Amino acid sequence: MEILQILTTVAVSAAIYLLFALGMSIVWGTMAILNFAHGSIFMFAAFVGYLAVKQVALPLVAVVLIAMIAGALLSVLMQILAFEPIMRKAKNAHAAELQLVIGGIGLSALPIFVAQRATLSNPFGYLQSTFTTEYYDIGGWSISNLEIIILVVGWGLGIGTAIFLRRSRQGLALRSLGVDPEVASLMGVDRTKMALSGMAFAGALAGLAGALTTFYLSSLTPESGNYILLKAFAAIILGGVGSVAGLMIGVTVLAGSETAVILFSSGGWVNAVAFGLLFLILVIRPQGVLGKKEVRRT
Amino acid sequence: MISQWFAMNSVLIDQTLVVFLLALSIQIPLRLGVISFAGIGYFAIGGYGTGILVLQQGWNNVAAIIVCSIVAAIVATLLGFIIAHLNGLYLGMATVSFSLLFSAIAINGGSLTGGAVGLYGLIGPIETWHVALVTVVIVVLVYLSERGRISRRIDAAKEDTQLASALGINVIRMRRMSFPISGALGGLAGAFSISLKTTIHPESINFSLVILALTIIIIGGQASWVGALFGSLFFVWLPEALEFVGDFEAIVYGIVVVVAAVYLPGGVVVVYKDWKHRRQVKRFLAQAPDAPPRDELAGVSGRSKDDAS
Amino acid sequence: MTVSQGDSVTSTSTYDYEPVLEGRDVSIHYGGVKAVEGMTFGLRPGVISGILGPNGSGKTTLLGGITRMVNLTRGSVSFLGRDYTNVPARDVIRLGMGRTYQTVRLLPDRTVRENILLATDVILKDDPDRAAAQVERAIELTDVKNVQVFRPGELSYGVQRRVEIARALASDPKLLLLDEPTAGMNKSERSSVAGLLAELRSEGLTQLLVEHDVQMMVDTCDYLYAMNFGSLIAEGSPEDVVRNPAVQEAYLGKHGRRDA
Repeated sequence: MEILQILTTVAVSAAIYLLFALGMSIVWGTMAILNFAHGSIFMFAAFVGYLAVKQVALPLVAVVLIAMIAGALLSVLMQILAFEPIMRKAKNAHAAELQLVIGGIGLSALPIFVAQRATLSNPFGYLQSTFTTEYYDIGGWSISNLEIIILVVGWGLGIGTAIFLRRSRQGLALRSLGVDPEVASLMGVDRTKMALSGMAFAGALAGLAGALTTFYLSSLTPESGNYILLKAFAAIILGGVGSVAGLMIGVTVLAGSETAVILFSSGGWVNAVAFGLLFLILVIRPQGVLGKKEVRRT
Repeated sequence: MISQWFAMNSVLIDQTLVVFLLALSIQIPLRLGVISFAGIGYFAIGGYGTGILVLQQGWNNVAAIIVCSIVAAIVATLLGFIIAHLNGLYLGMATVSFSLLFSAIAINGGSLTGGAVGLYGLIGPIETWHVALVTVVIVVLVYLSERGRISRRIDAAKEDTQLASALGINVIRMRRMSFPISGALGGLAGAFSISLKTTIHPESINFSLVILALTIIIIGGQASWVGALFGSLFFVWLPEALEFVGDFEAIVYGIVVVVAAVYLPGGVVVVYKDWKHRRQVKRFLAQAPDAPPRDELAGVSGRSKDDAS
Repeated sequence: MTVSQGDSVTSTSTYDYEPVLEGRDVSIHYGGVKAVEGMTFGLRPGVISGILGPNGSGKTTLLGGITRMVNLTRGSVSFLGRDYTNVPARDVIRLGMGRTYQTVRLLPDRTVRENILLATDVILKDDPDRAAAQVERAIELTDVKNVQVFRPGELSYGVQRRVEIARALASDPKLLLLDEPTAGMNKSERSSVAGLLAELRSEGLTQLLVEHDVQMMVDTCDYLYAMNFGSLIAEGSPEDVVRNPAVQEAYLGKHGRRDA
């Protein structure tokens, strides 16, 4: 069925955006770090997977795990080298914000550069992996094993994280960091440790998204990170910063709009969808669908 | 000899001037605390607008430059009203998405914008020294805004808007005014760019231009035209200087930006201003009679702002 | 008693003097919280009035309402007989009020002199001579002449506060509002500020002091208003107010040593 096919595509795209944006949103909502290097982490983690698979024909799970570890490590490294020092030196939260964005953009250049050198700016993929895509046909609707994996992992993690943040103690600690870091630390929440684990988690998710995307699209280019970064940003703002439920709405609207644009017009406007959505949402309702009225992060 | 050097490097000089104007279009609002990358969008209006008017409508080059800059200023003013309710990073991202929309329009604009190829063949009467002259005039005006009363009011509006209001400063009006100024500067930059380079294409106005602008602000700082000029020179001429470094240029560039972001949040100009200040203090202390008693200086009494309760 | 709206002078038989600043039923509510409720007062000219109250009693919010930093939910404020309840915040300095803040708010990258000059940059932009004279006078009064060239971060906290007072004075206000001007100061700094306020009073300046240090208030002020939970609980001479049982209860016996 045509409509089911379209919905599947939307759900899969949304799942990938969700995986990518989840870490970014949590880190931003709780630690006030808008990580502009997140896109390059996504790409570079996938790239590390590529390097591994070039040597050994690995199954999907192995490639994904390697990418996740690479992503987590890279993210933590950036936190230690740049974000943490910037936050310590900043005069106030306001000044830190811009510096972090600037630092992130500077940082993002490095992984991109390395990948470009190694691949000579050519796309890279996981051709040598043992994974093969299989399609299942259910009465005219076809779905692949990869798509099933992405749907389950993406939406599963999304819902799981939402529940974790709401119900568990660590989740509460994370959320308290976002509301008032000083009070949180007075209550024993270790900011530095939480920051590192937060970044590691976000990086791992980015790696997961990167590896799965590379399988799904069959290749990635060193510049892929930048575009998905902007799209994720649009989805986060749309849903409301710090709200995982909102993010799930945001990625769905984003994926849905992009698919609609591809179907009903020339593909060239796809990237513009994210820009347009972002601008509109900021003008009309900056706190997003599920955000609080007071836009805290200014 | 000098004219030889100018001739050999005219492309880089052109680029420096254009980039400098773009940097100013972003720095002016930034001095008021408005993080706006809309300058890239104004650049698109100025550049593509001039291209379309001259190449497709047969306009005079100079007239096109003037009109497009004014249009950019008007668009900027409207934008200012639409996003007036936003602050800080949200404002920044709204302006980034605004600017990137233009690159999408440029790619998908068909024969009007030349699509992925862009517009080319704009051979006009504009030369480097024309642009340089206009730039000098602009610099003089900006310089005047960095002295005396107006500079203090700008600093206050950026640093502490409540305090600024309490001192009589109309912060909202100052911020609103920064938009058309930014628009005109960005528009001029784009218009001059196509007039000198003869071409413009979607890559000229995509995200890399945002990065360019950011880099200049990081290196040069947010406070002064001197910093913007320094940052522009750095960005345009560094690849030349780094030729021996060859392929590692991007890495060096990335490292420099990160280091500057972490350790030099005010950019280069702040370093100079701090030095000047320390010199003034030393000179003052040297003429002893009025020297302040030790307990009036920070750190001696063991108390600082953070001890306040 | 006749009351008329807008710019017209209101005839106030409530007071036997022309109040410099008058508040009627001033109330400021934030989403359910009544930070200030029903405050009515009239500041006598040439006198140091004080608002006494524990933390959270609404003193600073009231100051915010007086200086138009926040809107009144109810009530009105008048300055020298003119209602200014809806005037924009930036016009307050022009009316003739100068204020200092609970935490020092000086531009960190500017010198002391530049920070003080800021007070005249807008209101006296057409009269640089008068501006210079007012600035010099403010510097003399607060004795910050020998630190003019320093930046705030290079000075001790007590001096920073004095610079803030200088800035407030540079606009030649008819009413000086001070929000906890001696917080964090040691004893000698405190008495030096008290001396300054007394000197300003002798020159005829009306002042409104907000503090939670009871001793300082009793020593410095001529008239006290005591607040708790946003409302006025007592007013009168310092001795009377301090002996008021409601006031004593508000301080729960800790009265006299409230500086942190």
